[in-house]
Amino acid sequence: MKAEHLEFLGELRAYLDALDPDLVAATRAEHIADAMQPRVNGRRFLARLGADGWLGVSWPAEYGGQGRGPVEQWLFAEELCDRRLPNGLLTLNAIGPTLMAVGTDEQKAEFLPRIIAGELEFAIGYSEPDAGSDLAALRTRARPDGDAYVIDGQKIWTTGATVATHLWLAARTGEQADRHRGISMFILPMDAPGIEITPILTQGGEQTNTVFLDNVRVPAGARIGAENEGWRVLTTALNYERMFYHNEPRWELRQLRDWAASAGLLDDPVVAETMGELAVDVEICRLFAQRGAQMLADGQVPYAEASANKVWWSELRQRICDTGLDLIGEAGTVAGPTGPAHGHLEHGLRSSPVWRFGGGTNEIQLDIIAQRGLGMPR
Amino acid sequence: MTADALLAQAVRGWLADFVDNTYLNAQEASADGYESTRWDQLRDLGWHAVTIPDHLGGGDATLAEACVVAREIGRAAYASPLLATMRATVVASGGAGYFDALVARIAAGAPATLVAPPDRTVTATPVAGGFRLAGEPVVVEWAEVATEVVLLVPAGGDWVVGVLGRDALDGRVSAVPSVDNERIARVALHGAVVREAVTVPASAARLALAGANLLRASLMVGGCADVLERTARYATERVQFGRPIGGFQAVRHHLARMVIATDAARLMVDDALERLAEPAVAEVASFTAARSYVELVLTSAQVHGAVGTTTEHVLHHHFRRAKAMRSRTGTRALRLRELHDALVVHGEASQW
Repeated sequence: MKAEHLEFLGELRAYLDALDPDLVAATRAEHIADAMQPRVNGRRFLARLGADGWLGVSWPAEYGGQGRGPVEQWLFAEELCDRRLPNGLLTLNAIGPTLMAVGTDEQKAEFLPRIIAGELEFAIGYSEPDAGSDLAALRTRARPDGDAYVIDGQKIWTTGATVATHLWLAARTGEQADRHRGISMFILPMDAPGIEITPILTQGGEQTNTVFLDNVRVPAGARIGAENEGWRVLTTALNYERMFYHNEPRWELRQLRDWAASAGLLDDPVVAETMGELAVDVEICRLFAQRGAQMLADGQVPYAEASANKVWWSELRQRICDTGLDLIGEAGTVAGPTGPAHGHLEHGLRSSPVWRFGGGTNEIQLDIIAQRGLGMPR
Repeated sequence: MTADALLAQAVRGWLADFVDNTYLNAQEASADGYESTRWDQLRDLGWHAVTIPDHLGGGDATLAEACVVAREIGRAAYASPLLATMRATVVASGGAGYFDALVARIAAGAPATLVAPPDRTVTATPVAGGFRLAGEPVVVEWAEVATEVVLLVPAGGDWVVGVLGRDALDGRVSAVPSVDNERIARVALHGAVVREAVTVPASAARLALAGANLLRASLMVGGCADVLERTARYATERVQFGRPIGGFQAVRHHLARMVIATDAARLMVDDALERLAEPAVAEVASFTAARSYVELVLTSAQVHGAVGTTTEHVLHHHFRRAKAMRSRTGTRALRLRELHDALVVHGEASQW
């Protein structure tokens, strides 16, 4: 890392260290319980960062950002991950940059200032009951009606829908047989008439949702990009999203270390051998993320490299929780804050399946690595 | 093209002129295990003395450049006293000028080797006129060929860097067969006295070892890259059930895992070369490169099937070198305990 990057990291840490400790503690507790949907405290925290000019580190100055590079953006996300605090997630890091790339001037003016202020939260409406990994099979339909669209259909696994202000929606405007060539992207206010949300509770305690769309009417200006050309918009957003795997594993390993220290087992050979290898893998996780950021800084787009990052990150998090509980033994059956490692490892293990399939299953990521990276045939 | 890329291209070109599986097989079966004429060429090209200062007759370049040479050697699976010589040079150069005469002899073309048992199984105690060694026999690469033998072992709280003269080694070196195509000997050091030696603090010894081990790690990164490229090519050429086997998802996923393991090793070694003052990073890199190289050859053998197991395919050299090189880093469990102590207990190697 260059000296200027270390200097930036120092500034960021000084800023974060000086924040109201009650706000930080409340936000962290909320974030640890369910990282995918900033709620009361998470919203306050992000608004604080927005007001202080710390959201949009890599956003250009013309959109109110700090105008720094992708490496600083990575450091920002890495540092917040390390503190288990929200970093703006997809709204700031995927939707915002996608709007900059493909939005109209009106759309940019409407959304970007409020995103960088930390006021908006987007839920992602891609998956449907019959369109998961095969997203191009989606059936939610948007029918043109005068200068508006009328949308009908059902989305599922729409995490954060109950706390979101907006829905980033993929809907079919062309023929079903056109698959990805018949899809358009829309932004809907979450309180639009005809949207109904049904919560789904997961084994990790995180909430996700089903979103029903019944005759939801949006103006034509809510469409992002050209009609039937939404796939390009969607993949742009997904490319930003796939870079979003940072060092939560380091935090999880720290929980395991703290458990080992409190149990007087930090010098135990079996504990040391297990944690030594996990610590190696945490450093590799750091370098995979850093490489992606550096490629972006060099004007390249990471594809296979982003996939490698995602696979490594998700498997490592799961492995730390799993092998950590193996080290703990029978006491690891105690759930929650009174359990070993304050329950973070058993909670992590319950949450971990989502990491391996969310944001594109790891099997699809491995195919991307083999096909895009190595030129393997389909 | 960067200077590193040009150097890599030059070394690769030199090796491509004569190294293939047939050549490697012939050398492994030969009496010496390598051709001294090729060593003379290497010496004339200066690639054995990259890090040696100009005034001692070397290339006056960085460890990173020496690692470029090592990577290409590893890619070709080429066995010679080169790696041992470069490792010995790094350690002797850590003696604050004390070993300048030896380093100059290496620059002039003397093959060298390093005795630094990874699991600290040899120790030194001060005696009149030097240090007396104690411990079980150790395995040393190219010990029969090397005219210069550098030693780095613990001595109480400090460490000793020393030179073992050929007279001190008389009757103590016996050649043993190696798992891979490098040459090794078992060396019984118990009771031997090292006369030419200096003590260095443990921190300096750790840095010197980190540098020496980065050379081996780079060699393993080169091995990973070659195995990956060969396997990917084979998967697009080998047709079964009417299509290249790379079209099967199970095979693609094997290959993707190989990419991930190769990237992990290369990124970690590159990180370590940028942070030479932090030996923990080099220790992580050494572990990662060894783990990846072994993973690569095991998966590659599976993708290649029977053809990869024959001695007519160069994979058999990589396969054995991967495990042998990993074993030369010592006991896996002990390395992991050290990594745990450095990374987890003392928070080294990271910004976080």
